[in-house]
Parts: sequence; structure tokens; C-alpha cells
Amino acid sequence: MTTIIDPITEGLQRGWKVLGGKHGALPERITCDVAIIGSGAGAGITAELLTKAGLNVVIVEEGQLKSSSDFKQREPEAYASLYQENAGRKTKDKGITILQGRSVGGTTTVNWTSSFLTPADTLKHWQDRFGLKDYTTEALAPYFQQAQTRLNISPWATAPNENNELLRRGAAKLGIKAEVIPRNVKGCYNLGSCGMGCPTNAKQSMLVTTIPFALDHGATLLVETRVEKLVIEGGRVTAMHCIAVKPNAAPVEYGKVATTIVAKHFVLAGGAINSPALLLRSKAPDPHRRLGTRTFLHPVAITTAVMKDTVAAWGGAPQSIYSDHFLHTQPVDGPIGFKLEVAPLHPVFFGANLPGFGEKQAELFRNYPNANVMLALMRDGFHDQSVGGTVELRDDGSPLLDYPITDYVLDGARRSMLAMAQIQFEAGATMVYPGHELAGGTSTWATTKAAIEALPMKPLLTKIGSAHVMGGCGLGGNDKLGVTRPDGVHWQLENLSIHDGSIFPTSIGANPQLSIYGGVNRLAQGLAKRLGGNEVVLA
Amino acid sequence: MKHLPPHLQRRSFLKLGIGAAVVLAVAGGAIALIKPGLFNGRLSPSARLLMTRVGQAMLQGTLPADAQAQQTAIDALLQRTDSFTSGLPDHVQAELSQLLGLLATAAGRRGIVGLSASWEDATVAEISAALQAMRASGTALRIQAYQGLHDIVFVPYFSGEASWAGIGYPGPTAV
Repeated sequence: MTTIIDPITEGLQRGWKVLGGKHGALPERITCDVAIIGSGAGAGITAELLTKAGLNVVIVEEGQLKSSSDFKQREPEAYASLYQENAGRKTKDKGITILQGRSVGGTTTVNWTSSFLTPADTLKHWQDRFGLKDYTTEALAPYFQQAQTRLNISPWATAPNENNELLRRGAAKLGIKAEVIPRNVKGCYNLGSCGMGCPTNAKQSMLVTTIPFALDHGATLLVETRVEKLVIEGGRVTAMHCIAVKPNAAPVEYGKVATTIVAKHFVLAGGAINSPALLLRSKAPDPHRRLGTRTFLHPVAITTAVMKDTVAAWGGAPQSIYSDHFLHTQPVDGPIGFKLEVAPLHPVFFGANLPGFGEKQAELFRNYPNANVMLALMRDGFHDQSVGGTVELRDDGSPLLDYPITDYVLDGARRSMLAMAQIQFEAGATMVYPGHELAGGTSTWATTKAAIEALPMKPLLTKIGSAHVMGGCGLGGNDKLGVTRPDGVHWQLENLSIHDGSIFPTSIGANPQLSIYGGVNRLAQGLAKRLGGNEVVLA
Repeated sequence: MKHLPPHLQRRSFLKLGIGAAVVLAVAGGAIALIKPGLFNGRLSPSARLLMTRVGQAMLQGTLPADAQAQQTAIDALLQRTDSFTSGLPDHVQAELSQLLGLLATAAGRRGIVGLSASWEDATVAEISAALQAMRASGTALRIQAYQGLHDIVFVPYFSGEASWAGIGYPGPTAV
């Protein structure tokens, strides 16, 4: 038993300016240089750079401020306090369940630490199709390098756990290349609990890096506070209205504005789905009807295997091995490509995600220590039949993503299930269960192959998840191609920047956190300069 | 309906998020008989009965075989279900409340679950067969309803540390 120092508790004791919830009532009106909406990947990087540049910054987060002393590695508490909609956010037809963060640090507080550069073919597609001429690997390289240094990102040097090793082993037998995943950790205990908040502060999330930096440099953080509306007048945002919210996101008092924030510049970084929703609520100009469209999810198909030997998929770095083989076997705009990874398995995640119930399910639960769940993250947004989803508003103003699962995506589900099942059998599986309501377990590759080929691939029957939300305020080289200018400023609102995953014009084709850090690093450095701050770099 | 926020208080059964048209077609004139399945985010008495029976079917083979031990496990499950549902966002609570309310009516039970005997009288085998048929159904509403029930059984069940021993999970590593 060691004593873990909680940097948030210490910062609060040092006098950080944190308000909202138990931290204190909000003043009626706040003025600042820059108001940042959200506290996740894009917000954190922006907050550090702008405070470093000497600007007066206010950060507004809807979720709670939770930190290592709260992170007890228990799923129910973590899902309820650290995720959007209790880790059960669903698309409109309920066909996709989305894991997205909702606390200080955003999704970076709960992600599995996989840190990939934006793939070159993704950037090439953006240059060719979206007029983003300066989004080249070379131009972005220094900004990615700084982010990697700042967040201690490097390939995982410790041996992978068996859950990941079996992906490498099975793939190798088929001549498929699998490689080591770079992670944003420092002194990692290899516990495997990243998804419930890092209890040792090893994960270099925004919660323990950029947000503390900003607070140490004079920023104010409002928590349990949601921006309901941007006030828009004459092509500018003049203020924003915030309400106090409960842990389940319901307003503390319906219709009551808790504080109004007036700033010279506003940075929207609430993440995909939430950022476009705020612009929709605010009736932001959208002359070419781009807002909220082209929202991407990396729809994930799964297969579950029972392996011959113990896997103990709950312990050790959750993701340390991946394969991009199936992203490169066809052109980027051909049949949907997919990235292969594995999922850490804790009881609720395992129990809730396996299709089926009753005696047969009970048998699979008893094999939990030997279970492996493989994931295929499909690269959506590169093909005419892959336009993603559209963000809508419910009557209460909360966002709802309508993401119809097309045959193009479902074809990828079938191909990826075949690829994953074959790898699992090569790695020593005794049974494989495709993620589909009509699938049972089968014990050989031949019978599993036949079963997957015969499955009707339809929405709801085919189990699809997502942990990556991108797009909805896409970048475009002109105002007809996107919501956001290449420099991060809204095409129609001159003092509003958008700095999060919502600006990606397609999905990334890799876990997106480092793409947000690197891209936003460049945008925020430019913004700091334009606002008259000191010239700054992230590292 | 006092527990619901203002925007959900008006006759919101007619806006059931999981396919209002089908619900109305199935429930017909019985729509007026639907009572909310959740009160202040917690299971109503009729929803408790429904979830007891659905839990017995879905967790068959996982729950203890001994009748008394099984009852204790179900009681604990329903308590965790309450704590899970009461923490959900308002719009999800409203939708679940409508779903559970609808399935508790005879029309909803017959039309959507496909179960002719009452929730009280149906055997576990009958309920299991009906749930399997919902799961494999070609109707979006029936699959959505099945998957909703699946979530509110399995998430709370595996939220309980008592479930860990049965599946061989050692619990988190102390730091």
C-alpha cells in the first residue's frame, strides 16, 4: 500500500479558483479574455497555451471534478460519474452504444491511453476533399512532437498482457502485422483500470496535466455547469448563458441561468455531439446546412473468444497491441477498413455487452477469466455511402445523434468479424461468439466462418459500439465545405473557435486523442498570437 | 408524474422514443391504462414484478439455484436497478418509465413481449422463450425493448460485488 498524492486535492488547497457544485456558488456574471467550453482533450491543450500566453481564461465543465482519491476502480461509480449518460449514450435508433467521458478531463480521464498520430492517408483525404492544404504530415509534425513530449507519449515498453499478446500471436500466424501501441502514461502501475479513472495519476490525461497548469496560472474552472446557449449578435458571440446541473445532467433549477460569461473570444470544446448541439441550441448561422452533419463514430464490431488458457483481461495495460492490416488492404475510399484492438474486460462491461441471456450465457460468464473481446474500429466517413450521423436536439435541448447503420458499415462488420474470429482461433480460442443477437458460440474456425457468413447483418441484431466521437463541426477550406475554418475559427462567427474532435471532417482511422492534442496545439498557438498573447509552445 | 421535469410532464406517453406509432397500434385503447414504470427514478410495484420475472429468466444459471438464496439475490438486484435507473439522465428515465409501464399492461405484454400468461403466472421457461423471440424479432421496437431490458438486468447485476465470485473476477488490485 503506497500513498498516492492527489494533485487536484493539493491544487484546491493551494487556492485554485474552482466554482460550481460543492465548490461554491457561481457569481451572476463573469468577464474574461477567453471562455472555454469543456475540459477534455481540446479544451485542456487550449487552456494551458492561453494561460501560458498570459490570457485570463475561464473553463466551463458540465461534469463533476473527480480525481485519484475518488477513483476506486469500481465500474458502477465510474460509469455514473465519469461518462455521458451513465456510459449508455445511444444513437437515435439505439443501434450504437457510445462511450464518451463527462467529468473534468473529458474522455481523457477515462480513455484507455492509446495515442496514435493522425494517419497520413487521412490527412491526404482532407487535403484532397476538404481543401485543407496545410493539414500535411510535415506541417503538423512539430505540433504532434510537442504533444507527445508534454504528455509522455511513447510505445508501451512493458510486455503486453495476454489479452493483447493473443492478438499479436494470432495475427502473426496469419502473416498479419501487429504492433505496439504508444500510451500517454508516466510511471504506470499496469493495473488495467484506465476506464474507471486512473487511481495512480500515471495516465497523462488533461485532468492531471493541462488543467492543473491552467489553474496554477490563474484560470477559473466552473464544474457541474452547462453552457445552455451562446448569445449571438452581428456575427459575434457576445456572451454565454450557463446553468447549474446535477450529476445526472438534469438542471438544478429549470430555466434558471446560473451565470452569464462575457469574453472577448469563446472556444467551443465540448466534444463531438455536444459541441454541435450547443451551436444548434444557440441557433448559430449555418448557411450551407453543415452543422451537426458528418458525425462519425468508428463503429465497432466485436467477437468474444473463450481461450484455452487464462487471459485475465481485466489486468494490465488495456490496449498495447493493434493491427492496421485491414486499413491498408483496400483504398481509403473503398470498402470500409478497420483497425483491430482488444478491450479490457471488467464484469459490467463484459456482462452488458455480450448478446444473449440465460443458461447459455451463464456458461460463458463462468469462462470470464479465459475471455477475450476483440474490437474492429471501422473507419467511417471516407466513402459516399459513409456520411456518418446527424446531431439533433430533443425537446429539452439535449443532443441526440441519428446515425443510421448502412449496409456499407454492416459489410465491414461481417468482414471484420471473420478476420477477428480467425485470429482468435489461431491464438488458441476454444469457442468464438460473434457480436450478433442471432449468433451462438462455435468451436472451430470452419463452423464460425460459415456462421458469420450466414448471419443477417442488420442494425440492432448486429451489436455495434463506439468509443470515439468525431465531426459535426467539420473543418473546411471554404464555407461550403465545413463549419470551421482551417485556423479553427467558426466560418460565420469571428470570435468563436472550435477546438475539439468535432472539427474532424472524417473519422481518424485511429483512436483520436493524439489527433486532437496535436491539431488543437497548432490552432491554440495561432489563437494566442491573434489575441495578443505571448508566443507560446506546448513543450 | 410529479417526479418528471416540466418538459416531460405533458402527456408524454404519446412520444415514446422507441417507436410511438407501433406502441399505439399494439396498445390500442389500452394506452390510457399505462402507469409510469418508474417513480422518482425507481421501479414502480408493477415494474418490480416485471423485472423480478425478467431477471429470473435472463439470469437463469447465474442466480443461485436455492429458492431462498435466489430471492435474496433478486432483492439485491432490484435495489441496484433502482440505484442505476435513478442516476440516468431524465430523458432515459422517461423512456424507461414508459417502456416498463407499457410492458406491465396486458396489451404491451402480449403485443410486444409475446407473453400470454400474466407476469405473475408465467413460468420462467415461458418468459425465456418470449424474450428469445423478441431478441430475434425482425421488429425494431421488439428488439429495442428486449435490449433495454437486457441492459437494466445485466448492468445492475454485475455492478454488485456479490457477482464477482461466480465469474472468477478477483476484484481490483489495491494501490
